[in-house]
Amino acid sequence: MSVNINYLLLIPEILVLSLGILLFVLALITPRNLQKGIGYLATLGLLGIFLYMPIAWKYTGMAIEGMYQVDKVAIFFKALSLLAGIFVTAIAPKYMEKIGYYSEFFVFAVFTVLGMMVLVSATDFLTLYLGLELMTITFIILTAYKRESAIGAEAGIKYLILAGVSSAILLYGLSLFYGLTRTLNIVDIAAVVKNNGITPAFVLAMVFVLAGFAFKISAVPFHMWAPDVYQGAPTPVTAFLATGSKAASFAIFFRFFYLAFPGIKEHWVGLLATLAALTMVVGNLVAIPQTNLKRMLAYSSIAQAGYILVGFLATDFAGFKAIMFYLSVYLMATIGAFAVATVYENVTGKEEIRDFAGLSQRSPIMAAVLVVSLLSMAGIPPLAGFAGKFYLFYPIIKNWGWLALLALIMSMVSVYYYLRVVLVVYRDEPEDKTPITLPNSIYFTLLITMAVTIVLGVYPTPLAKIAQQAAMIFMK
Amino acid sequence: MITLAHYMLLSAVLFAIGLFGVLSKKNAITVLVSTEIMLNAVNLNLIAINKYIGVDGFYGQLMAIFVIAVAAAEVGVGLGIIISMYRNKETISLDEFNFLKW
Amino acid sequence: MLSPKGAILIFFLTGFLLSIIILVLNYLLSPKSKSLIKRETYECGLETIGPTWVQFKGNYFMYALVFVLFDVETIFLYPWAVRFNVLGLFAFVEMVIFIGILVLGLWYAWKEGALEWK
Repeated sequence: MSVNINYLLLIPEILVLSLGILLFVLALITPRNLQKGIGYLATLGLLGIFLYMPIAWKYTGMAIEGMYQVDKVAIFFKALSLLAGIFVTAIAPKYMEKIGYYSEFFVFAVFTVLGMMVLVSATDFLTLYLGLELMTITFIILTAYKRESAIGAEAGIKYLILAGVSSAILLYGLSLFYGLTRTLNIVDIAAVVKNNGITPAFVLAMVFVLAGFAFKISAVPFHMWAPDVYQGAPTPVTAFLATGSKAASFAIFFRFFYLAFPGIKEHWVGLLATLAALTMVVGNLVAIPQTNLKRMLAYSSIAQAGYILVGFLATDFAGFKAIMFYLSVYLMATIGAFAVATVYENVTGKEEIRDFAGLSQRSPIMAAVLVVSLLSMAGIPPLAGFAGKFYLFYPIIKNWGWLALLALIMSMVSVYYYLRVVLVVYRDEPEDKTPITLPNSIYFTLLITMAVTIVLGVYPTPLAKIAQQAAMIFMK
Repeated sequence: MITLAHYMLLSAVLFAIGLFGVLSKKNAITVLVSTEIMLNAVNLNLIAINKYIGVDGFYGQLMAIFVIAVAAAEVGVGLGIIISMYRNKETISLDEFNFLKW
Repeated sequence: MLSPKGAILIFFLTGFLLSIIILVLNYLLSPKSKSLIKRETYECGLETIGPTWVQFKGNYFMYALVFVLFDVETIFLYPWAVRFNVLGLFAFVEMVIFIGILVLGLWYAWKEGALEWK
């Protein structure tokens, strides 16, 4: 029994795996004083693979017979995962030097990117579970990376227990689907619905799978892990979690629901609308009293997940195009904000909002990037977040008017807590007026994220066209 | 006659026992063991479905082996984190780790 | 003569009753000391010194952890070994890569001192 494997389509994964193994071997054999090169090698390696992605855009198909589908959506999300990996390995070096176990961090970061790449292409229960667990378990290790920190250990054990339980629930739902469809493939679930209709076992399995995925995207009844894990993890790891993990989880969530339940949309759309509404409301309202920047960004990212969930409700591929566009824009803004937080925490050791006072006097570029990123997340017009929210909310105005109105109101509420940070940064006086010098890699990261956020806000067409081309595959 | 329903009922009961253990126990190791019980319930489900109604092939058993391997890796990581917890606070009772709230 | 289920039931009852009988006999026949001092725990004939809950050495845990991970690797090696002839070159190369990645893990554990026994 030989399986049909198309190696051309698997080149990005093979390259990322080789990079991970190379970094691991180098981490073992280089002497202590040369270890800094591993960080640069990780960033350059991931950048090289990212530059291969536009070439990979042309080659789509089924890479492993029935189990691993490389289509334009998968390539888009692989590129997003690589981008998140590049930015995180660029901002991490100085921070990780203070924590210790420097080179293993980059090995784990590369393997996390591999897990995300496997997850977004999965069309089989086993591939889905393996990609999901590779990504999740590596993130658990990265969360508890600071060994002398009780907060890090607390965040790590909370993430471990909750992720373990939600994976078990997801897996139970998948095993019930296996019982219904008798194969491990996702597309066969749609055939079962056509033949047998909706049975109670089907609804139970669907709810279990929905619970498992909703945990990963931190939708509201399943969001309790996100603030604690985001606050307790080292800041570059939080940046990676907030961008890469969410993007990959949304990709597989959408793929699963559209491959498995295409014809019965009216049954699960109401449930997702309720989840989206709850997530937006709770995320935004609980972010208001937060005083810790990382925790506030965690609640704001829960609210962003609520906005993205709205994209599931649109009637055709416009919803998914909006999701892809918004996830890219959100990645840029989040990386910008967390890069500033990383540098500031490395220099001063503080992460409360009031300790960012007067950042504009100490480092104008950091203040500018922080402001641009936060306003983009709020959805203020000339920035990319506004274009993203427009693409997301416009298709649902006709059928889900109440949800669009709620989203607009909650966006306005979010402007309050973002602007509060902007005020502290620009209006208050700093305690210590020494200017902050930035390492080159972080300087370039900040400039690139700010430039992309501003340019995409004014001229979103290129990215929108790419997202549209990719989303067309769901139009069947 | 032992039918598929018996196995699935046992699997559901095991899953519920595991879930109860995760939600109510204070010792971190007991919580990890309860997570393992939940994953083993899923394994039982997969293998029983493969034996009784699966299409010819062994995919249920194959997936069960992979789930066992992933669960082992997760518990390895979990025990590492528990050691880190113990080094920081001299206790592994989850009630003591409540700094991160609201 | 007796169905298999009946045999299992008799085994179960016998085991259950046997344990109960042994415990009850122990209670009835053992000498009971009248004073409280005779019932205290002792260590080599004298009073106990130090806390009675002794910590186990960390090395046991590290060895157990490395054993579990390589045992799970072995689970994957068994089916391949059974069907080695049929599976051909592709499976061989793939298993060499798999074992190679795990050897890297072993190298890391060795270098970080997880296999030391102090």
